[in-house]
Amino acid sequence: MIDFTFTEEQELFRKAAREFAETKIAPHVPTMEETNRGWDEVVKELAEAEMFAVTIPEEYGGLGMGYVARLIAIEEIARVSVATAMMYQVFGLGFEPFIKFGTEEQKKKYLPKFATGERLATVAVTEPSGGSDPKGCSTRYKKVKGSYTLNGRKCFITNSHIADAQVILAVDEGNPEAFTTFIVEKGMEGFKPTHEEHKVGMRGCNTGESEMKDVAVPAENVLGGEGKGLKVAMAAIGDVGRGGMVGCALGLQQACLDASVKFSNERILYGKPISNLQTIQNKIAEMKIDLEAGRLLGYRAAAMQEKGGRTSNEFAVAKYFTTEAVQKAAKMAVDIHGGYGCMEEFPVTRYLRDSFVVGPSAGTSDIMKVIIARWALS
Amino acid sequence: MVEKRISVFVIAEQGEGGIQPVSLQLIGKARQLADKLGSKVGALLLGQNLANVAQEVVEAGADLVFQGDSDSLVPYQAELYTEIIVTLMVEHRPEILLIGSTFMGRELAPLIAAKLEAGLTAHCIDLIINNEGILEQKIPAYGGMITIVCPEKRPQMATVANGVFPNPVLDSTRSGEIISMDVPEGFQLRAQTLEIVVEKSEGVSLESASVIVAGGAGAGDHDGWHQIAELADALNAGFGSTRPAVDAGWTELETMIGQSGKMVNPEVYIGVGLSGELQHMVGVVAAKIMIAINNDAKAPVFEQVDYGVVEDCRVFVPALVKTLKNNKAYAGRATHVN
Amino acid sequence: MLNLVVCVKAVPAPSIAAKLKIDPATKSLPRLDIPLVINPLDNHALEAALQLKKKSGAHITVICMGPPPAGNIVRECLALGADKGILLTDSAFAGADAYATAYTLAKAIEKNGSVDVVFCGMASSDGATEWVGPEIAIFLNMPVVTMVREIVEDQGDEWIVKADFEHGYRKVKLKLPAVITVTRNLNQPKPLSFSGILKARSKEITEWNHEKLGIPVERIGLKGSPTYVTEMAHLESRRKVEMLEGTLQEKVERLVQILSDVGVV
Repeated sequence: MIDFTFTEEQELFRKAAREFAETKIAPHVPTMEETNRGWDEVVKELAEAEMFAVTIPEEYGGLGMGYVARLIAIEEIARVSVATAMMYQVFGLGFEPFIKFGTEEQKKKYLPKFATGERLATVAVTEPSGGSDPKGCSTRYKKVKGSYTLNGRKCFITNSHIADAQVILAVDEGNPEAFTTFIVEKGMEGFKPTHEEHKVGMRGCNTGESEMKDVAVPAENVLGGEGKGLKVAMAAIGDVGRGGMVGCALGLQQACLDASVKFSNERILYGKPISNLQTIQNKIAEMKIDLEAGRLLGYRAAAMQEKGGRTSNEFAVAKYFTTEAVQKAAKMAVDIHGGYGCMEEFPVTRYLRDSFVVGPSAGTSDIMKVIIARWALS
Repeated sequence: MVEKRISVFVIAEQGEGGIQPVSLQLIGKARQLADKLGSKVGALLLGQNLANVAQEVVEAGADLVFQGDSDSLVPYQAELYTEIIVTLMVEHRPEILLIGSTFMGRELAPLIAAKLEAGLTAHCIDLIINNEGILEQKIPAYGGMITIVCPEKRPQMATVANGVFPNPVLDSTRSGEIISMDVPEGFQLRAQTLEIVVEKSEGVSLESASVIVAGGAGAGDHDGWHQIAELADALNAGFGSTRPAVDAGWTELETMIGQSGKMVNPEVYIGVGLSGELQHMVGVVAAKIMIAINNDAKAPVFEQVDYGVVEDCRVFVPALVKTLKNNKAYAGRATHVN
Repeated sequence: MLNLVVCVKAVPAPSIAAKLKIDPATKSLPRLDIPLVINPLDNHALEAALQLKKKSGAHITVICMGPPPAGNIVRECLALGADKGILLTDSAFAGADAYATAYTLAKAIEKNGSVDVVFCGMASSDGATEWVGPEIAIFLNMPVVTMVREIVEDQGDEWIVKADFEHGYRKVKLKLPAVITVTRNLNQPKPLSFSGILKARSKEITEWNHEKLGIPVERIGLKGSPTYVTEMAHLESRRKVEMLEGTLQEKVERLVQILSDVGVV
């Protein structure tokens, strides 16, 4: 039989993550909302709280705490700031290819610095020509005397401007079936972040484009082997990227529920709190049901991931479910707040805007369904 | 004439300012309790130059006042005081021992209780001798009142805060015995008070304020707290707090009103952004008018006050302060015009 | 190396416990599932021990008397940096007042071995008597200073501390071994760290009941308590509230009128 309870240690971990989010991240949220900046400060806090070390193995300077701990951390951070949780989860997404596919030299070179937050990472797959269809990527590489030259553009990349190392998917100029992931680093000639996005939600989360113009990438920066790029990128995004979105959605959903409960208990109409009204109770019950179900889906997938299996399908289900649910929940939360739901002082307006961005990140809901159908039909 | 025994003892505290008000209040209460038991009230004074104080203690209702007058008793030394008190208690075996919950009292009481294997109750807001002659000690808890008893061990000990019992009327016709005690020489102290330092405090003293504004968790943050401070200022009121506000770091423990804090006796009490926790409310002993401002219509405070305002204090208080200031200004102008 | 003991109490989360009310009908407390947390002031006591450990080297044992779920609290203390945990748990400990609690804790401290300083929070958030620390000192035959706000000198076996006192503070010279009860102002407890949680995996928590402690049942729990609760009563309020009505400004005006009538403005 399956034990659905968290261990004592996991409960302690959640407590620590919650305290961290409430005391160290919450104060930065207003600045991030207003200025669409402030990521340096929260990155510093994440580093100090050992957040970057969570999934990195102990032998490379990390804490090796596993994927369930990761999901707990993301969920607790997202409850306070989805923007921070998004950057955090994508940093983790950036490390994952190193952990799973890196050579010993690469692991020793990059992971310890990732663990302390000294160096930041991200994964860059999406392009103007599409992210849902990674094979359609037009960033290309040409092998030149044992090293590679990269040309292309990546867009909608989280942490584009702050990552020190980006794991970039590119197609072989001479062979449209061959893909390779490269470690492209800040400072490499010809590589630079360009346009910065102004998103309607997740403000303060760094998102943007980078451009590669004849970037010379040495052979030791090939990650996972030449020609193996799709496998590397999809493994990372499929498991870790989607898993991170589940965390963002669950945390945000909890925040929507908490705000709705608080408001409906305090708001008096017809002499009683509106939480007494059945129509409000309906909405709250829906949020609660989705949260219970989403948690089970997410933690089930994370527990499988921790055991070592491939979990892209389970995470596709969890990602679809939780990101769709949170978009509904945010709208319901705003509705429960009535007129106040349009006022910026009330956090529910931010939750609504954040929920829009949670949907298409790490794969749209439609693509999730394609993947899930493929799973069911196989 | 049957020699009555000392049934009720009070450890009285005094210093440069004279005797502590709570000690006199406890003597007054002890008198009441001893009368019900048909016995005497004893009091203990430890310190230096106690001549004037002992008489006041008699006038408040004590039959015997034991004095330890020595420079080794100043400043307060826990182990020496405990030794003297325990010896006295063993000799006289009173039924009841009362101590004011001053800083000294709160440290001494448990030391004495542990040595005597006695029961000790904190935060008493009433003491009643029941039909079995046992002391019922009432303390506020869980939104109500609980009764504690110590049926077997003696003495039955309790600490009580200043302001719980009324100041007794001093009766200059009362007579009592003042007994000088020997103070042990060369007592070895393992914890030695080297000095006592008085720190300056600001603002209207809560104990003497006739208007008190108390703030709670509803202030939300430092800015909200500051708004409530402005209200206290505008009303020239004492500014008190509840535990959540102290825990949040907006104010110091010294401003906390309640069971574990200060007991206050204002004419008018205004609770802002507080829920009406009994532990706090019991600290407001008897105000003529009580008012509460809270955005939660279900808050228990609204069952305990005369006037209630359901509004977010962060919106209401600034509006109130503005109106108060305008009225002041307008009133000034009006008299000037006339 | 110093041997330090920190006495910790598992209390119902204060923000939720505040809602607990005596039921006027049954005259008892409703059974609510309130999560247990470390008594807030005990966090400061543990922090004092941790700072001393960092500065001069020390071994910290945390002792907690409570029901089995209090084990989580002990584990949290280990995650915060204590070295060893002892949970005193036994149904016979139930109903203990401050005296019986202090006696039980003192016996456990004795059984644990030699100690230099016992740190306690000055009061718990639920009972809040302030009695347990000083009573432990008497049972251990040690001196005690209550309400310590600053540790001025902590080298050697004669310390200097500052403790809250009437209108200010007192400076006390304290010979070890001793008991110290601490206030909020003593320090700022550090938050839980992930590496701390991992390190706690290899730390030991021992459970002792009254037999292991060698204490007879007459000295523990309700049996060993000089005091006990006989009655719980609901307090009826003497006041009938008038809720002010109207717009915000109308309520402001009415309140100013009330204050003016009483003579405040």
